[in-house]
Amino acid sequence: MIVSLHALVIAAITVKSPTGPAWQFLVLFLVVIIGPPLLERARLPGIIGLLVGGYVIGPHGLNLIGAGNTTVPELGQLGLLYLMFVAGVELDIGLVRLHRRDVILFGLAAFGFPMLFGSAVGFSMSWSVPAAILLGSLMASHTLLVYPTVREVGLAAHRAVATAVGATVLTDTASLVVLAFVSGSQLEGGSLASIAVQVVVGLVALSAFCFLVLPRLVLLGFRYLGTDRVVRYLLALASLLAAATFAASFGIEGIVGAFFAGLGLNRLVPNEGPLMERIDFFGSAVFVPIFLVSVGMLLQPKVMVEGETLKLAGLFILASVGGKVVATFSSKRGLHLSMKETVLMLGLTMPQAAATLAATVIGFNIGLFDQAVVNAVLVLILASIVGATLIVDRVKNDVPVPKAGRHGLGRSVLVALEEPAQAQTAFAIAAGIAAPDGGVVRGFLASKPEEKRVREASLKELRRVGFAIGVDVDPALMVDSSFADGVVNAAARLEPSFVIVGQRSATDPAFGGPGESAAASIPSPVAIMSGGAAKIREVLLIHAQESSNGEPYDSVGISAELAARVGGKNVTIVSAGSAADLTPGQLCIAPVPSLDALAGSDPPSGAALLVVLEPPEPLPPGGDRWMVSLRQARI
Amino acid sequence: MPALLAVGCGDRTTSPAAGTFTPRTPGVLSVVTTDIPTPGFWEGTPANVTGGFEYELAKLLAKRFGLRSVQVKTEHFHQIVSGQLDGADLALDLITPTAERERSLAFSAPYLNSPPTVVVRTGTSVPDLATAQSLRWGVVRGTTFVGIVNAMVGPDGPPRLYDDTTEAVAALEDRQIDAMLLDLPLAVVTANRSHGRLSAAAQLPEAEMIAAAMPKGSDNQEAVDSAIRAFTADGSIDHLLRVWVGTEAATAETSIPLLQTMR
Repeated sequence: MIVSLHALVIAAITVKSPTGPAWQFLVLFLVVIIGPPLLERARLPGIIGLLVGGYVIGPHGLNLIGAGNTTVPELGQLGLLYLMFVAGVELDIGLVRLHRRDVILFGLAAFGFPMLFGSAVGFSMSWSVPAAILLGSLMASHTLLVYPTVREVGLAAHRAVATAVGATVLTDTASLVVLAFVSGSQLEGGSLASIAVQVVVGLVALSAFCFLVLPRLVLLGFRYLGTDRVVRYLLALASLLAAATFAASFGIEGIVGAFFAGLGLNRLVPNEGPLMERIDFFGSAVFVPIFLVSVGMLLQPKVMVEGETLKLAGLFILASVGGKVVATFSSKRGLHLSMKETVLMLGLTMPQAAATLAATVIGFNIGLFDQAVVNAVLVLILASIVGATLIVDRVKNDVPVPKAGRHGLGRSVLVALEEPAQAQTAFAIAAGIAAPDGGVVRGFLASKPEEKRVREASLKELRRVGFAIGVDVDPALMVDSSFADGVVNAAARLEPSFVIVGQRSATDPAFGGPGESAAASIPSPVAIMSGGAAKIREVLLIHAQESSNGEPYDSVGISAELAARVGGKNVTIVSAGSAADLTPGQLCIAPVPSLDALAGSDPPSGAALLVVLEPPEPLPPGGDRWMVSLRQARI
Repeated sequence: MPALLAVGCGDRTTSPAAGTFTPRTPGVLSVVTTDIPTPGFWEGTPANVTGGFEYELAKLLAKRFGLRSVQVKTEHFHQIVSGQLDGADLALDLITPTAERERSLAFSAPYLNSPPTVVVRTGTSVPDLATAQSLRWGVVRGTTFVGIVNAMVGPDGPPRLYDDTTEAVAALEDRQIDAMLLDLPLAVVTANRSHGRLSAAAQLPEAEMIAAAMPKGSDNQEAVDSAIRAFTADGSIDHLLRVWVGTEAATAETSIPLLQTMR
């Protein structure tokens, strides 16, 4: 009787085959989790794993997500916007400024040749004018996919690398402008002149919105709403959506707006800052993988291996890689690069991924491209990424690592404070130093182990002070029995480009305070700050001294750079003895060779003194070895 | 009777980048459908088609492919979905792609996405599933609606089958049946033109795609796919829907109540 009851109960249980959004998202995230590591084991880029995974679960594969599904493609569209936003926000605008001439020269070549060759391929196959031009433009952009590899070996500041990175701003912007014209001509209709007027007006309005209005609005948002990290992230997300909507209202593809929004917010979202970390996190965990998986769903291996597709892919590779080869080698002489540097630059600009994929998907969605073209472009993407990875791996160790210059001084500024009261001035100085490099400021407060609980309460105030200045300092305690050791440990962990040590007093002891002790063990330039100004009204720069052989000290150059970054045009050069006569609102920057500054008393209340120590490497010619010996003696 | 209707030479021809279209008859796009007239979708008579959403879509396709004219043929729906296109290049007949139909036909990208909608005589209300089950149902033979009515509604009696929409609508007006299923835009336009006799009472929670059908293995599929994506992106499909089916069709998805069904 009991057995038959069990049988009845079991018979009543029905298990349905899984359907619905939860099942689809589960499948999607399994691909995101499993796809990239599988391909990376085969030494192929993870992006390919997402594309292949998209095929496997898509309508041409196991059909777990069918052709009629709208959720994944719609999320994919959001991912596409996100991808272009990240591309814009990550670019190092400082490098464009620094290598302006090289960037323009190479950027024009890197855009022009692939554009020309790609369009020629389209025309040679009797494609329509918009299709041929769109093909050229999608080959003219590139994605800095192998840049992290180059950065890891210390070549980020190399002129060839910086030029390639800077040129990306030009190539991708130009490609997206071409895309705007092509999609405008397809979607808006009308005469060529009316389309041109519509697109030009749209681009001007979009540029004004993204480069003038949006950064100001976001900065205000950061200041008044941004103490909550979630709000800061949502402000960035809202910005990209606002720019995409703004672009669409002028008949321009949303990705152009998203990319411009990224460029517009570039300065406000430092690459190594907590906000960028969040943007990257959500991008790489959710949005961008979903876009790539949705593109993979278009993959049709059957179509991919067809003669027509392979012929197209071959021509695309020839035009794209050929264009980049001609661009880099024709720029070699003008940029005064060696063969290895030229090849490195080629490797950096060869990968086609983000903008190429974006333009291809749009070309497909507006009916300019068919499945064969999409699949051929995917072959091009795969070939370009694999080729570039091999090229860069081969030459990256043969290119000399450049000596660190003053560019990048603000990449990552570490502020270590003995007292929270100095935060206002120190963060303001640090923000000024970081801004031109789109850098990040990190704040640390010294704490002895027994003071930990009391000092922790001050971190909230430090965060508030940072946000009021417009930087997310992400404050933390340096718990150590010695302030100097705490600074050294924090610097070893963060590898900052510049360190500001806020000391209670510059003169106690006159030499060998914790700041100077720490500086002996830190490879980055260090400045010691004493005093504090509620608002810096004027910057005084102590007149530079020369070393015994007539060469300027490095600290002198660094001081001048700091003064320019913090004070702008409001910098007065004064003699060494003037440090004692500071008035409230003044910041005095003194290079360490100006010994008078150190020998003087602490700045008066309301004024601040920033003593820039001579960096440890390289030694100045004929060098101040006593200083190094002094530092070493204190380790 | 097939009708040959001139659409004029298009100035835009399809680009090989978007697939190439090769018609069976040079210069002519031949299209097969079931009912002429089908309100809003095919207007006029088989001999003289005067407009309609799907007819105008055929004209747009012909123009994009650089073809001179559109030739219209008629065939029973169940024959079309079994792959008999009467020698036409494609079928435009509110066809939903299904796995079974894909065995004998090739489908384009969808040009409409519409839920099945319950059409009743005005005054009949369908507030819940129990009421829906008590009604006498009718559907067009060979459509996906046969399976949908049985699986999602489960009426007390089996649904009656009709050869085409016109016949089913006539049966509804004649009180032979109480309810029938139609694609949402067609349901809206049928109700609008019934002079108040019929109304769209509820929609079922099932997404139905509508696509063009081509002979299995057709080389024209890529070109038709690209064309439909282009017409969707540039607003042509939306424009045709508003002109021929009415602006209500665009908002009907949110204004017609959803019927909670068995599935």
